[in-house]
Amino acid sequence: MVQSLAALVSLVLALIVVAVALVVVRRASRRDPAGYANVYRVRRYYAIGLIGALAVLLVLTLARTPYAAAAAPPPDLKVEAFGWMWAWEFVVDGESRGPRLELPAGKLVEFAVSARDVNHGFGIYDPQGRLVAQTQAMPGYVNPLRVRFDEPGTYHVLCLEYCGLGHAVMMGEISVQ
Amino acid sequence: MSTGTSHPGRDRRVIVVWMVTSVALFLVMVTLGILMRLAQGDVMAITPQTFYALMTMHGLGMAGTLFSAGIAMVWYVAARHARPSRLAMWIAWALFLAGGLALLAATLIGKFAAGWYTLYPLPFLKATWPGWSTGLTIVSLMAMGVGWLVALLDILRALAVEHGIARMFAWDRFGAGAGREAAPAGVLIGAVCAVAGVLGTIVGAASLMMYLFQWFAPATQFDPLLLKNSMFMFGHTIVNVAMYCGIGVVYELMPGFTGRPWKVTKTVAVAWNATLAFILFAYFHHLYMDFAQPVTLHVIGQIASYSSAVPATAVTVFGLGGQLHRSGLRWSFVPAAFTLGILGWVLGGITAVVDSTIAVNLVFHNTLWVPAHFHTYFLVGFVLLLFGFVHHLLGSRAERLAKSGLVVMLTGGYLFVLMFFLGGLWSVPRRFASYQAIPYPDLVAHATRFAAWGAVGGSLFLLGALLYAASLVTGRQPAPDREG
Ligand code: HEM
Ligand SMILES: [Cu+2]
Repeated sequence: MVQSLAALVSLVLALIVVAVALVVVRRASRRDPAGYANVYRVRRYYAIGLIGALAVLLVLTLARTPYAAAAAPPPDLKVEAFGWMWAWEFVVDGESRGPRLELPAGKLVEFAVSARDVNHGFGIYDPQGRLVAQTQAMPGYVNPLRVRFDEPGTYHVLCLEYCGLGHAVMMGEISVQ
Repeated sequence: MSTGTSHPGRDRRVIVVWMVTSVALFLVMVTLGILMRLAQGDVMAITPQTFYALMTMHGLGMAGTLFSAGIAMVWYVAARHARPSRLAMWIAWALFLAGGLALLAATLIGKFAAGWYTLYPLPFLKATWPGWSTGLTIVSLMAMGVGWLVALLDILRALAVEHGIARMFAWDRFGAGAGREAAPAGVLIGAVCAVAGVLGTIVGAASLMMYLFQWFAPATQFDPLLLKNSMFMFGHTIVNVAMYCGIGVVYELMPGFTGRPWKVTKTVAVAWNATLAFILFAYFHHLYMDFAQPVTLHVIGQIASYSSAVPATAVTVFGLGGQLHRSGLRWSFVPAAFTLGILGWVLGGITAVVDSTIAVNLVFHNTLWVPAHFHTYFLVGFVLLLFGFVHHLLGSRAERLAKSGLVVMLTGGYLFVLMFFLGGLWSVPRRFASYQAIPYPDLVAHATRFAAWGAVGGSLFLLGALLYAASLVTGRQPAPDREG
């Protein structure tokens, strides 16, 4: 899961930083006029390593953006989704389904997401309550979001852009069989 | 003019007044933050209307106050190496204070609640608050913006008069003049911050003009994507610059404690000029989830965000390491607060870079991970630099009390941000007045518990800050040189 991986990477890096900080802080009060030369010797390797690591990560992660909608194989199903203050509405083949949608499992679905008043955020939560994908719902724009629902169950749509007083109660439901 | 001159009393007075104003407003905003966390933790009942007014005030108030404090810090550094105008600073201070008080009225009385980045068209459409509070918010932000421009442009003027453009941006490190002495690091960083701050504020002013136009002529329609870009270019830039203003003060003052110079070498020169570019282009990471935005801009956003880690760590953090390592320094309040502040900045930065990965942002955007990382580099980062600066400015003989305050702030601050991180890990959405309507009982239970513990952390932080304030009063020192 992306969340756990991201949190783990953050935790490991944070622990390394804290450990290095502790060493530097403890040695700071001892005096050695040439002490900083050591620091600058390490720096060259650090800089090369960091730039290399960032470059590799850029290549790996930029290949996994959610924007490829137009190029990828056509979706099995297309659903329009609209946000307004403060509800979601699904539209399939020009017909409104209100805030509830039923989908077959295993299909690649493309949501064409937009808004009827202010900005909203279309966030899809899986049956366990984890966020799996999102896009903004902006008035005047349509954002295509592709999701494959492999696991059957009840998914929910929560609003992920602040849209006024009802922001925290704006729910949609997707049941996948 | 020679470097490192001490401040005549009148220079000092404007900065002291400015710092007292900033710290007072900051503590009010912290209190609003604790109230929000108490409401989310189901400890205290607050209506959504009040919650979102508090949230809007807290966000605008914190960003505005800390950016203003950052400008004052840069002005202080500039005044040691050039002659910026005190009058410009007093004008900016008056506008900052007036804008801040007017915002308090617009949100706490007028219930303006469009959030701190007031995404268009939320302030105008089906608003649940009276029209005057929207108008007053726009005008107060514009007033503060004018103040910032006055102060920043004057700082740039003063630095340019004293050092010349090439020297203040350290471009003279390359080419014929490289043999001569470089400008102090504080001048370079001050110049970079001032330029970025001016550009961000101008974009903000232009967006606010459109908002004002809309307010007078409700039938107008602007492009929401364009305005989202410009509001973030403004908001992202000023909070980012606030942080770098604090770093500038560390470069300027740390050598006084370690006895080692912190010079502008070629590397430092390149690093800070690159940082200027990264500040201006990284804001695109706020729009990753707007799939309608051209993909190139998303990619630029991720590259600029990643790149900013290079000068930040390889130059600033290593520079600090070189300052500290075996320097024989005594850990008095100021270097301790500075070092801890940089640590918080790095920890917040790591989690920010993780979130600036588009593939990660897909599941972190607008969850509590976002407030988690920026509260880390502000609350346990910039704010510690701010307290370090205040301590340098005012001094205190109650050093033990001051340090206990620092320890309590740290404990509370890290507990508070940790609860935001856990929320982000659990996919808890950001900006929910209450979690009770979320259709996952487990998630509701966790989110609520994290919020309650967050309120405990926030309250501890406030207690620590008050202890620190008490140390300034009980250990008060007579102000140096009152002439001027
Ligand atoms: C102990 C101190 C603080 C507490 C208790 C606190 C609390 C909070 C809470 C509860 C939220 C709403 C979170 C949500 O989205 O659900 C929030 C948002 C925010 N805070 Fe803080 N905060 C503190 C310090 C700071 C600092 C130092 C800054 C400096 C930049 C800051 C800036 C913001 C901003 C910009 C927002 C976003 C507002 C919005 O979404 O419109 N806060 N804070
Ligand atoms: Cu919403």
